[in-house]
Amino acid sequence: MRYLLIGCEVLLRELADAIARSPHTIDVDFLSKGLHDLGGVRMREALQTAVDHADPARHDAVLLGYALCGNGLHGLEARRVTLVAPRAHDCIALLMGDRRRYDTYFSTHNGVYFRSTGWLERGRDIEQLANAAGTDFTLADLIAKYGEDNGSYLYQEFTRYQTHYRQLTFIETGLESDDRFEQEARAEAVEKNWAFEKISGDLTLFRRLVGGDWDPTDFLVVEPGERIVASYDEGVIKAEPIS
Amino acid sequence: MVDLQKLHDAILNGDAKTSAAVTLDALGEKVSPIEIIQKAMVPAMDEVGRRFECQDYFVPELLLSARAMKVAMEPLRPLLAASGVQRAGKVVIGTVKGDLHDIGKNLVAALLEGGGYEVIDLGANVAPERFVEAARATGANIVCLSALLTVTMTAMKTTIEALQAAGLRDRVKVLIGGAPVTRQFAQEIGADGYGDNASVAVSLARSFTKAAGAA
Repeated sequence: MRYLLIGCEVLLRELADAIARSPHTIDVDFLSKGLHDLGGVRMREALQTAVDHADPARHDAVLLGYALCGNGLHGLEARRVTLVAPRAHDCIALLMGDRRRYDTYFSTHNGVYFRSTGWLERGRDIEQLANAAGTDFTLADLIAKYGEDNGSYLYQEFTRYQTHYRQLTFIETGLESDDRFEQEARAEAVEKNWAFEKISGDLTLFRRLVGGDWDPTDFLVVEPGERIVASYDEGVIKAEPIS
Repeated sequence: MVDLQKLHDAILNGDAKTSAAVTLDALGEKVSPIEIIQKAMVPAMDEVGRRFECQDYFVPELLLSARAMKVAMEPLRPLLAASGVQRAGKVVIGTVKGDLHDIGKNLVAALLEGGGYEVIDLGANVAPERFVEAARATGANIVCLSALLTVTMTAMKTTIEALQAAGLRDRVKVLIGGAPVTRQFAQEIGADGYGDNASVAVSLARSFTKAAGAA
């Protein structure tokens, strides 16, 4: 089989590992990290453009190296080629290898910020500010634009999330060549005065996605003429006809 | 004679120092808190909401106007409480259990307060039972729930169910919002309203309190 894999660059190491093990031929398109910061609609539009590049004469399916990601998959259409997506809310569930494991961890650990190699080596400082302000601001930028008093206030508001978090959890997948990512994550926890925990990741979902093992419990297969929608239940996503 | 237009403009421009000073001057001249709210704050925050909707203002401008409004509101709160003045309505607001992202919720809270509502802000990561307790204790007529993650959106449903189980569901209108939340989801979980941006919350709240005769 020949598949087109469209993945988030934050998962590049994990997906590369899966591609190397897959018996299939995989064309790849890694999209930039932080698409979810644009909001569900714009992320979906970016994904749709990438999905529409698939060639029905060439590709047996498009594999999505994404989770629901703030509704970024919601409304994504399989127009000419079958889509396959893992059932998960976000990439942390993918990195843990099981969305039920993530749910349990999430509900028993309050205020956890997650890191993996991808989140550390692909610009760790952009996501929250970009998310809050719609652009990537530093304290100096904000003061230059809004003055000392208002600029400092905005910076404080945009970074106040840090006071809500209590722990940094580093997910180690085994694809790290040395301990620099763990050390970086530990240093970040110290700097922010958070507790630190390292947990083992699990590459199963990536390998099954790219290997073609799409058990309906963990994967959604969307046929041409259908689209992906959020299901707000255990299954996370479901298919419905394009109306 | 104090010029309330100055307070209006200070809020619009995110000038907290001026908004605080003009408010104190107005109180010094015995202008009633409700007049300050109705003549300056409500129209200013309405204009802020309008500018946000037509993308003249973005999140930073909204936060700065909210701040200017809040510092002006500060000296009015005890006076309002003591006078027993009827506000437009009472709102309990928070981000749902598990969700720590509160910038959007803070903006909605500020816009509602600037819109004349008494706002009880429970903060972030609020368990369903805390929403229930607060709604009961304060006699709120609106409960606003915020979530930024699809994984925490289900806590909106459990919060509505908890209000139902506590016998409060008929007494409160539930408004939900947050980046991944959709109108369809709001309908599915039985919320009364959904806003896809912060300023919609005020018009929704007004439509409910007007219908109930509270505004």
